[in-house]
Amino acid sequence: MVTGSAVIETEGLTKSYGTFQALKGVDLRVERGQVHGFLGPNGAGKSTTIRVLLGLLRADGGTVRLLDGDPWDDVTELHRRLAYVPGDVSLWPGMTGGEAIDLLGSLRGGLDEHRRTELIERFELDPTKRGRQYSKGNRQKVAIVAALASNVELLIMDEPTSGLDPLMESVFQDVVQEAKAEGATVLLSSHILAEAESLADKLSLIRDGRIVESGTLAELRDHTSTTIHAVLGRPLDSAAVAALGDAQVDGSRVTAQVESTRVGDAMEVLTPFGISSLTVTPPSLEHLFLRLYEPDDTDAGP
Amino acid sequence: MSESLTGTRPLLGALAKHDGSRFAPWVLIVTALSASSVLVYPWIFPDAADRAALAAAVGSNPALGLIFGPAYDLSTVDGFNSWRSLALGGFLTALGAIFLVTRATRAQEDSGQAELLASGVMGRSSRLMAASLLALGASLMLGLVVGLVTVLFGGGWEDSMLLGFTFAGTGWMFTGIASVTAQIGGDSRSANSMAVGTLGVLFLARGFLYSVEAPEWTTWVNPLGWMQETRPASGNHWWPLALAVGFSVVALAVGFYLQAQRDFGQGAIAPKPGPGRGRYTTTWRLALRQNRGPIVTWSIAFVALGFVFGFFVTSIYDLLGSDLAVQQAIAGGAVTPEGLVGAFMATILSMVGIVAAVPGVQTVVRIRTEEVNDRVEPIMATATPRWRYYASNVIVALGAPTIFVLIAGTLVAVLASSADIGVELGDGVLQAVATVPAVWTVVAFSVAVIGARPQIPVAAWIGVLLSFAITLLGPTFNLPDWALAISSFWHVPKVTLPDPEWIGLVWISLVTIVFLAVGFAGFGKRDLATTPSTPLRGPARLLAGAGE
Ligand SMILES: Nc1ncnc2c1ncn2[C@@H]1O[C@H](COP(=O)(O)OP(=O)(O)OP(=O)(O)O)[C@@H](O)[C@H]1O
Ligand SMILES: [Mg+2]
Repeated sequence: MVTGSAVIETEGLTKSYGTFQALKGVDLRVERGQVHGFLGPNGAGKSTTIRVLLGLLRADGGTVRLLDGDPWDDVTELHRRLAYVPGDVSLWPGMTGGEAIDLLGSLRGGLDEHRRTELIERFELDPTKRGRQYSKGNRQKVAIVAALASNVELLIMDEPTSGLDPLMESVFQDVVQEAKAEGATVLLSSHILAEAESLADKLSLIRDGRIVESGTLAELRDHTSTTIHAVLGRPLDSAAVAALGDAQVDGSRVTAQVESTRVGDAMEVLTPFGISSLTVTPPSLEHLFLRLYEPDDTDAGP
Repeated sequence: MSESLTGTRPLLGALAKHDGSRFAPWVLIVTALSASSVLVYPWIFPDAADRAALAAAVGSNPALGLIFGPAYDLSTVDGFNSWRSLALGGFLTALGAIFLVTRATRAQEDSGQAELLASGVMGRSSRLMAASLLALGASLMLGLVVGLVTVLFGGGWEDSMLLGFTFAGTGWMFTGIASVTAQIGGDSRSANSMAVGTLGVLFLARGFLYSVEAPEWTTWVNPLGWMQETRPASGNHWWPLALAVGFSVVALAVGFYLQAQRDFGQGAIAPKPGPGRGRYTTTWRLALRQNRGPIVTWSIAFVALGFVFGFFVTSIYDLLGSDLAVQQAIAGGAVTPEGLVGAFMATILSMVGIVAAVPGVQTVVRIRTEEVNDRVEPIMATATPRWRYYASNVIVALGAPTIFVLIAGTLVAVLASSADIGVELGDGVLQAVATVPAVWTVVAFSVAVIGARPQIPVAAWIGVLLSFAITLLGPTFNLPDWALAISSFWHVPKVTLPDPEWIGLVWISLVTIVFLAVGFAGFGKRDLATTPSTPLRGPARLLAGAGE
């Protein structure tokens, strides 16, 4: 993690809509060449953060750097180097998808013809339909093709795959992997955990206008507990129960929640009592996120 | 039939609650129009001599008749009120009804709201039924409010109530027309344009045919002519209202028939597939493209307007000749025929200018509509600076009206100069050119509003409203010069005068520049409108994704 290689860096970013404070201090750091997952419950402030990064909204406080520039002051310069996929794509009524792709491409400073053709084919998009005639998923595809058809350094995507079918979802994942292989950086806001898991090098979790957790998936997993079920030869003594921390004992059966990094310690406590059966369940992804999304459970980590 | 109307009642309730308030401004304006006439008349025209002078002034400016229709009797409060309010009030009520119907039908479909409703326990025709009932009810309520308030301010009971019900009748007829156009148009915008276009044509035809004293049957082919024939305060005919009810029933029946034929979210005219590649590569072309339809439609309208007004100017001597007071003034040397013609041309072209400002302001307001519909966001996420996007649209907003004024102005000039009334072709064209800066000021005001304070987009229309009110109503109310000077059109020099005051154009152009600067600064500095995410979407998605 070399400093200075960050493509996006915000510190203490705040933003209010009228009296409602949507961002209460967002510290986000996206490294060059990585796919960065941006997750959080509804209304947490993902889209707001992204719109500040795009210079559509002006930050109230904190610092924001994007591609070594200021997203508000250096709009044109920066936007030549990035592309955006909104989560709610609204196309121009009488205009076809093909025309919309070309318009957005030329406004960005040109698009790669070869890429355009290839993407339209892979996403099975009909570019001759008009705005209103596209289904939700197809509107989304228009925006994805428009963004990916120009070779940019940075892709900012706000729930890009909402409405895509599983087949197209997998095409999308391939395409993002390819962009990454070519050196692009991606900020990907998403509610689809499987997508974040398979694409993201790093994740940031936002809740209630603050980043509450940031790191690789493995690092995030370390902060959550693993479930251990064991059937023992003889009942645990009270010292052992205390050592396990959060444990339920039912005769010779034990169910314990231990931190993922301390599974080994737990084994040492249990072994002397003669383990006859054992299951260790690592935290499932959804469990991990549900816990992090939970509003009252703020403390994470040891 | 009854099954297809299931759910109308709760829907009507919801509509009345959410969209009903949108009709309030129309009630307010029309009530103010009528009540203010009653209020100020005795005060401005206290005695018979003043009233005769008013009649002479109205008679000497046939341009007024074009908007207000015939002045049957200006010697009483109620007669004056019915002249001043009847045509305009009906026009405004009809506009309100049209917008209400379109909003509750097509606009809902465009936004996807209607889909939620349609999927509920809801008959096929209930949305149109609820929308129509709402507009009919709102028009009726407007009529009652106008009538009662006017009485309260001193209007005669029957005269005022008839006037109010005439407005309601106009609202009813256009509820019917809007229910038809809502089925034909491809989206809410074109549905509205069609209905408003119909209203505009009928309105103009009514004024024109009256002013040129066309044969009587022409009144009866125009539904707005029927409303003219109620003649509040000079005859009080109630029976034309029955015609209005009949018309709206027939139009609504057609609307319901068409609605049963068409698919949800589609107009009767199905769009064809378009080009797979785009030619629009700049915001400037995009702006042109988005306004292409309206520009073509309005150009046709202004050709028509040019002919109507031009023909009107050529007949000025006939129009003036029939007025005794004017004859006396000319004979006495108080005014010269050339002076009258020049002033008349200037008024006509100001009217053209005010009408031309409407599509200009529409273009500017559309920037905001695009913004709240999330269509500006993807453009601003490209390498397009904000000022450039705004400028592309502002150029269209200023340029299109310029062309419209020149089209209509040239036609007026050609017709007038060919008719031996002492108007040179050059004078007419020059007068049109001189009117253009005044149009720009009005449009520039909307540029300032949408750029700097877009939360209340209706404020963008203030310029049009003020110019209209001041230019047309100001002189008859003997407003002082400083009040008249609020309208940019007041500063337009009359080029046929020996010494036209060109400096006025400099002043209003400075104001225009200030408005534009405010608008551009605002648009560059403010947050773009963003739609907060829909709260329902996420949890379902979270669980769906977590299943893996
Ligand atoms: N234009 C707006 N005016 C007022 N409040 C807003 C506006 N846009 C967003 N908000 C509020 O700001 C908060 C953050 O919204 P944001 O759209 O950033 O959430 P999000 O994380 O993108 O949610 P989702 O997962 O549902 O897309 C929400 O509480 C939302 O209601
Ligand atoms: Mg969002």
